Amino acid sequence: MRHWIGFVWLLGLALAQTRGGELKVAVLAEPPVLDPTASTSQEIARMLYDNVLQGLVKFNEKGEIVPALAERWQGSPSSLTWTFYLRKGVRFHNGSPFTAEDVLFKFQRAKDPRSGHTHPEYYRDIAAVEAKDPYTVVFRLRQPDQDFLFNLARPDSVIGPKGRVEEQKTQPIGTGPFRFAAWERGVGVRLERFDGYYEPGLPYLDRVFFRFLPDQNAQLAALRAGDIQVIGLGVSPENALVLQKDPNFKVVSGFTTTEITAGMNNSRPPFNDLRVRRAIQHAVDKKALVEGVMLGYGTPIGSHRSPGERCYVDLSGLYPYDPAKAKALLQEAGYGPGNPLRFTFTLAAPYPYERRLGEAIAAQLAQIGVQARLEVVEWATWLSRVFRGADYQMTIIGHSEPHDIGIYANPGYYFRYDSPRFRELYARYLRTPDPDKACELMKEMQRLLAQDAVNLWVMNAPYLAAMRKEVMGWWPNQPTPSLNVTRVYLAR
Amino acid sequence: MAAYAFRRLLLALATWWLAGTLAFALLLLLPGDPVQAILGLEASPEARAALERSLGLDRPPLERYGLWLSGLLRLDLGESIRYGRPVRALAAERLPLTLALVLLGLGGALLLALPLALLAVRSQTLDLALSGFMGLLQSLPTFFLGVVLLYALAVHLPLLPAGGFPGWEDPGEAFRHLLLPGLTLALARAAILFRMARGSLLEVLSQDYIRTARAKGVPEGWVLLKHALRPASLPLVTVLGLEGGFLLTGAVVVEAVFALPGLGSLALTALEARDYPLLQGLVLVLAGLIVLFNLAVDLLYGLLDPRVEYA
Repeated sequence: MRHWIGFVWLLGLALAQTRGGELKVAVLAEPPVLDPTASTSQEIARMLYDNVLQGLVKFNEKGEIVPALAERWQGSPSSLTWTFYLRKGVRFHNGSPFTAEDVLFKFQRAKDPRSGHTHPEYYRDIAAVEAKDPYTVVFRLRQPDQDFLFNLARPDSVIGPKGRVEEQKTQPIGTGPFRFAAWERGVGVRLERFDGYYEPGLPYLDRVFFRFLPDQNAQLAALRAGDIQVIGLGVSPENALVLQKDPNFKVVSGFTTTEITAGMNNSRPPFNDLRVRRAIQHAVDKKALVEGVMLGYGTPIGSHRSPGERCYVDLSGLYPYDPAKAKALLQEAGYGPGNPLRFTFTLAAPYPYERRLGEAIAAQLAQIGVQARLEVVEWATWLSRVFRGADYQMTIIGHSEPHDIGIYANPGYYFRYDSPRFRELYARYLRTPDPDKACELMKEMQRLLAQDAVNLWVMNAPYLAAMRKEVMGWWPNQPTPSLNVTRVYLAR
Repeated sequence: MAAYAFRRLLLALATWWLAGTLAFALLLLLPGDPVQAILGLEASPEARAALERSLGLDRPPLERYGLWLSGLLRLDLGESIRYGRPVRALAAERLPLTLALVLLGLGGALLLALPLALLAVRSQTLDLALSGFMGLLQSLPTFFLGVVLLYALAVHLPLLPAGGFPGWEDPGEAFRHLLLPGLTLALARAAILFRMARGSLLEVLSQDYIRTARAKGVPEGWVLLKHALRPASLPLVTVLGLEGGFLLTGAVVVEAVFALPGLGSLALTALEARDYPLLQGLVLVLAGLIVLFNLAVDLLYGLLDPRVEYA
């Protein structure tokens, strides 16, 4: 009995140390709405995914798919039928119980292209959603879809109370550990602990305030002045180095799903020539770029996938830095001292690191006599000219969507990569029910892209966050855009 | 006087309308669109078309202009695309902060510039030092000045909050949050006002009646305050009218540096999101403020100097 009392006393002490308090987190921009099914702005998911809004399944901090509103699930051997067993006793923040009805409403809407749902194509293969009883939901697919579960874990798949659509945009109601409290326009978003959360003991914090602080200097000043405790993302490498030396702060540096990609227009000279594209790969020293431009933060990659993602193959060594070989390849393609390779390198103005990387790449290319003319354009111009019109030769941008290798199966995408072999591999990947076999196909796709040297994949962008040293439990990586505060606490 | 005021008012209205129309035309030329900003990169053409229709962006520009003008006559600025709320309400929410900031900046600039100018015309050494310092201030960009002050007064000597705005419920707290940004604006504008005030004071001091006053044995301080300051403040008022506009644009930068939810940061957000109705509405509000400011200065001019004739 005495041991027991001692244990409870210790437990209480531990909890008292970890529970309570308010956390103020800086985010870079204000989202247009607060419903990830109404806008693809990643700011929404960063603040609300899993904190407020949840789906049947979710990503954990390692990027694994784990139970959320579904306790467990089962796919049929053909992987055409998926049965989800819902968690019982879950309540929405407005008090109404969560049942199969809410799931049916959600996916009827998600499938309908006229409903205004962000990505109806994720749910295209769903033929029917049925409720066997209030806590069992069955999905029937038209054809096997390897990405089905992944798509159900995305922020687009969060589930709100049945019948609520418009209100979710400004007053989101979910089932997460925090409930939405207020959106102060231009200032920030406030969350409060939801006492009815189904996981006992969670969350630890009483309140969370996400403050919109677009300026990096203002963020740093606010952190140092104690106005905020966390810069949630986008700390610059320079600021990270400075903060790392200060014992009051700590810097989190991890991986993201962003591939910083120097895109080449594969349909236009000079990059419609494989030899030229391969020459570019040999001419660029990615390690030097990581060291020089990013002060050591970031990981070189060699294909369109991030090291933290499933079925990743490290192809960063496929084309070792070799200026002589690059020159030889260019010579083969008809370029040399008399007729140097010239092209326009389009940089998007609002992305400082992509711009600096672009400038550094141009400088490296200049060493083997390649003349890249730099052209800086405004973001809207980049979108309409480069992204939508493919009117460019080379450009550089971060592709932050997780698991987005499928863009190479679309010949109209701005790389203008047109490969029947890749399209066939991708289709086979999607239709392969066995995850291990699908994984092999995913790896093959990465190798094919690297062999075809479609783009110059420069690096996986680092996830850099900074916080006061007493902030504990922050996600070290960003396998999906999420500033998850479910298990964050303040050490005292 | 009444006829003059009426004519000035008509002119102001015409300027205002022109500013709004120009903004409308320029927005049409701007690349990018709100649909892309909302739906993101991978939106399907059907989704784009549906959203364009619901926002009325599929209509021809002239029709949109007509709708906007007719809305204007009813004092209806339309609805923001990004926030889904009336532009008028959004602007009204943000206006007090920006006005307070501009007034703080203007008042602060005057409070700094006038006494320093009076000091400068009295002493050669002080004049040299002050002129040099003000020249430096004038050449510093506002955002740089803001960041320097931020670090000095909010981070190293934590005297004032580093930014953000708590709302007007507690006026004392609100004032504390506006002090640092207001000081940034004031310092930047004080430099120009100082030079103007110093110049016109020197000019006035060389006039005959000043010599007369001095000859009569009036103390120097009194000469400055009573006989020189009022005529010397005339050109100052003109500059102040122009400064009102500069202060509003400066406020945009300062609001960004100090993360203040004012009209300026709202306009920046609207620009990024290509939120046409909101941006147009804000241009109108800002242009209206500048026009009003100039109108007030024109009328004030006559009050300060009876020699100005209303022709």
